[in-house]
Amino acid sequence: MSILKVDNLCKNFGGVQAVNGLNFEINEGEIFGLIGPNGSGKSTTINVICGLYQPSEGSIFLNGKKINGFKPNQCVDMGISRTFQNIRLFGDLTVWQNLWVAWKDDRKNQGSWFSNWFGKSESREKLISELLSFSGLETRANDLASNLSFGEQRRLELARAVASKPKLIFLDEPAAGMNKEEVKELRDRIFRLRDLGITIFLVEHVMDLVMNVSNRITVLNFGKAISEGDPESVQNDKAVQEAYFGQ
Amino acid sequence: MNIEFIDIVQALIDGILYGSTYALIGLGFTLIFGAMEKLNMAYAASSIGGAYVGLGVSVLLSLPLYAIFLIGPIGGGLLSVLVYICCFRYLPSNNHLAALMASIGGLFFIDEIISHETDGSPLDFPELGIFSEAYFEIEFSDMFLGFRGDLIFVMFASFLAMLMLMYLLYRTRLGLATRAVSQQPIAAQLCGISIHQTNSVTFILAGVLGGIAGCLAAASVGVISPLLVLPLTVKGLVVTVIGGLGSIRGAIIAGLLVGGLESVFLLLRGVNERDIYVFLLLFVFLVFRPNGFFGAEIDRD
Repeated sequence: MSILKVDNLCKNFGGVQAVNGLNFEINEGEIFGLIGPNGSGKSTTINVICGLYQPSEGSIFLNGKKINGFKPNQCVDMGISRTFQNIRLFGDLTVWQNLWVAWKDDRKNQGSWFSNWFGKSESREKLISELLSFSGLETRANDLASNLSFGEQRRLELARAVASKPKLIFLDEPAAGMNKEEVKELRDRIFRLRDLGITIFLVEHVMDLVMNVSNRITVLNFGKAISEGDPESVQNDKAVQEAYFGQ
Repeated sequence: MNIEFIDIVQALIDGILYGSTYALIGLGFTLIFGAMEKLNMAYAASSIGGAYVGLGVSVLLSLPLYAIFLIGPIGGGLLSVLVYICCFRYLPSNNHLAALMASIGGLFFIDEIISHETDGSPLDFPELGIFSEAYFEIEFSDMFLGFRGDLIFVMFASFLAMLMLMYLLYRTRLGLATRAVSQQPIAAQLCGISIHQTNSVTFILAGVLGGIAGCLAAASVGVISPLLVLPLTVKGLVVTVIGGLGSIRGAIIAGLLVGGLESVFLLLRGVNERDIYVFLLLFVFLVFRPNGFFGAEIDRD
């Protein structure tokens, strides 16, 4: 079943068409890769789906419900979450508080407005400690996020994205600036998230990672999809090789 | 007049005690600036307005004295969130000048409404009951230092309000959310936080602090008048700048400092010259330490 469906998505900035008639569909539980040269519209695509930009044209469906024009926080309520290409942690909050801010009560089951903002809850404590061990930050729970190393910050950002209990996570170049070992750890974490039933949308430059983890890949160039399919067929596609290496 | 050292110390003590209301007003400015990076010029007006609401409702319903100090802060909070809706909520978020001008409009609007409703004349504000009569003296070698009971109450109430604010900001998810928004607005939204919601909450918190400050300031002099609005706005801005825009501990320290020095200037140079030196202090800070005590360099991608 498709969790996200994007239909003829367009985004113009003034006269520049950053995204131009993009169509794709993501199935629940899969890892979907979006790649393309610099400036091909990958980040814009994520930003539009997350509600940071309004689409100029086209529609976005999450679980069959149209979410065009939703504010970012409404998209989070619908089960979307993301990380950022340039890390955006709350530097003056501790690691633990970063996760707490993003945590969301299961409103349907137990949460009231009051408990959401003021309350203590066991499920929260449990989720946060699970996320700390998921990201290997147990010993740093009370350190300020701005004092973490680069790798730790990336791990915390991923954990924070999971804290809002999303169904679909966008990872915007999660491996940028990582060494081989760290990329391997990241890959394991991505698989663990998939095993929890979270659908993953991966935007990445590190080809090793994308080709290894993705079920399906779409390649963007100049805001248009030039190729899609499984990693192998995309790699062998002439149009893709031209986009990356020139003719 | 022969001014001795003990007089200066006495003036400093009185000033620091009264300065806690400046600290509250400075805190309100700094809270809002921290959340939105915008100055809310109507803030002191909504604070005094809150004190008027407290006075008015208490007199109309003939409630006891302490009701003013409960209704005043509520009135301050309501006026403050009204200012948010009128002057900030619907203006483009990247246009700082528009919000500044709109809130200056709000300042004069509230000021004029108060003047109109009270015919521009000051009203008696109830003093602090037994606290006003209390007076403590401490012997210090062979000199006597006095502490006015009402000013001690003002200081105590201000610090209680600050402690509650700290608890909210640092120990509840609501406070964390407002701080998260001020640090990374985009990421905060993508953690499911509504910016408008947290901004409203920040304005309410600031307004409640302002209402408390307005009531305390009026109670310690025994009158309330629309003439309080502009000086309090200016003093609040001075405190905020000296403390460092956006810095909470800076606002508290600067509030006490400005209150204390103001009182010493008053003693040494009289009421006509007092504010000259306060603004000179602001000028010195702007030249030599433009970020104030704790103002952070703005650093954001």
